[in-house]
Amino acid sequence: MSEPITRRDLLHQVARGSVLATLGGGAIFLVQKAHGQVVWQVDASRCINSRLGDTGGEACKLCTTECVVALSAVRAVNEYSRCGRCNICPAYFNITSAVDERGLPSEKLCPRDAITRKPIGKADPEDPANNFYEYVIDEEKCDGCGKCVMKCKEPLGLGSIVLRVRYDKCVGCNRCAISRACPKEALIQIPVEQALKPPEVRQAAE
Amino acid sequence: MEYRQTNVIGGKGSAPGEFAASLRCLAVDARGQLLAAGDSEIKMFDASGRIKRRWSTSRPVLSVAVAADGAVYAGELRQIEIFDGSGKLVNTWRDETLLQRVTAIGFVHDGVLAGDSAGRAIRHFDRNGRFRNNIGKDNPVNGFLVPNGVVDFAVDAHGVIHAANPGKHRVERYLPTGELLGHIGRFHGTDPAGFGGCCNPTNVAVRDRIYVTEKAGPRAKVYDFSGNLEAVIESADFDPNCKNMSVAVDARGVVYVADTVKLAILVFEPSNLGGTGPVGPVSLVGQAGLVQVGQVSLVHVGLVGQAVSPVKPAEGLPR
Repeated sequence: MSEPITRRDLLHQVARGSVLATLGGGAIFLVQKAHGQVVWQVDASRCINSRLGDTGGEACKLCTTECVVALSAVRAVNEYSRCGRCNICPAYFNITSAVDERGLPSEKLCPRDAITRKPIGKADPEDPANNFYEYVIDEEKCDGCGKCVMKCKEPLGLGSIVLRVRYDKCVGCNRCAISRACPKEALIQIPVEQALKPPEVRQAAE
Repeated sequence: MEYRQTNVIGGKGSAPGEFAASLRCLAVDARGQLLAAGDSEIKMFDASGRIKRRWSTSRPVLSVAVAADGAVYAGELRQIEIFDGSGKLVNTWRDETLLQRVTAIGFVHDGVLAGDSAGRAIRHFDRNGRFRNNIGKDNPVNGFLVPNGVVDFAVDAHGVIHAANPGKHRVERYLPTGELLGHIGRFHGTDPAGFGGCCNPTNVAVRDRIYVTEKAGPRAKVYDFSGNLEAVIESADFDPNCKNMSVAVDARGVVYVADTVKLAILVFEPSNLGGTGPVGPVSLVGQAGLVQVGQVSLVHVGLVGQAVSPVKPAEGLPR
């Protein structure tokens, strides 16, 4: 019959396990890092601009202002599988601007005019509402300011536009400058395999 | 016309009059009883907000309506369940194609209408469940524009169907045959008479007027049948993340609006109904079936304007 485990033994075992797990995790991280296998990415569920619950506020622009790359490596991406293809897209139009003779908002939202739209199928000249529209983000213009992301968020929109680190732009800092500034710790490191996985993320370049 | 908030019914919780995870749809029957569809249950409240009865549905319920004969129709995924007034299941209509996601139910004189948000159409059946025709499908975008995921409509006393088409910022009028008669509404981002955002209004009810709800920011509005705005009903109690807020109106013009985040039903009385209910911020206090408005609750029918004690949690309710 085995000896009963004392409280002290138990605490020792837990402490030893924690140290080993920490060392092991750190080792794995270092190995991955050494092989360039982790990358920075925006966690949309943490990002102020895209996470549910925060409505009506100004967009957080830290991804634009803090990135060491001249035009931030973070860009807005439209996940088409979630896009409603609406006639009046709050991420495309400034929906509180004056309404023009076609019944549409007269101003666009993006300060860099990085979003374009075109009707899907044959446009109804009598009634623009009789169409779906495809919204495409020009990532060469986008600086990741997050204004469109904030307006696309539910319940105003469907949350199809999110911020993403573009790996061809990111220089892979050891400690991402945006992550240091982000109040919500939305910049996280993930394995490359995971970063390349999500098939639902259709890049605008496709 | 002005409205004031007089009551809050339900709320998030596990008591008989509360909702655990969802509050999808409201309806008022001929006797002024309020039916609420949420979770996998139909709950019936009296006009004061006290729960009278509740019963389970076989699938999560998305919509509810009461026919003239008192039968209760519950819209679900791929089926409609029909109950008698006591909650006993009497029939089930199943259709994998026409009833994919039934988010609204209504009645015309010899037919049953079902809003199918997956098909972006209203399905018209006879009273035996035989399909007749689609409504709202014959247009360049092959259906209603509902990025919000709900097809909602109401039928007026003349049998005309008033359907929310949020992507077009309209409430459209149809005959049961599917013929489009016209619409009210237009997009406007700041004028309250218009509908803002990507897609509003999301839900509609009809009585002597047209009642709609909007999301972002959540509110109800009242229009005459010509499309003139008569009232805007707002409340600080609406969760700002609410959407697809079902609206129902009783014969007195009392408006019930579902807060789909707080899982509560906000009650608004028109000012010409009388009463002394408090106006302004309301605290959501967890009570079974009734949440106090400030420190005072009101009974609407027969005791208008008279303060009563808060309702205690109901016990031994039939399920």
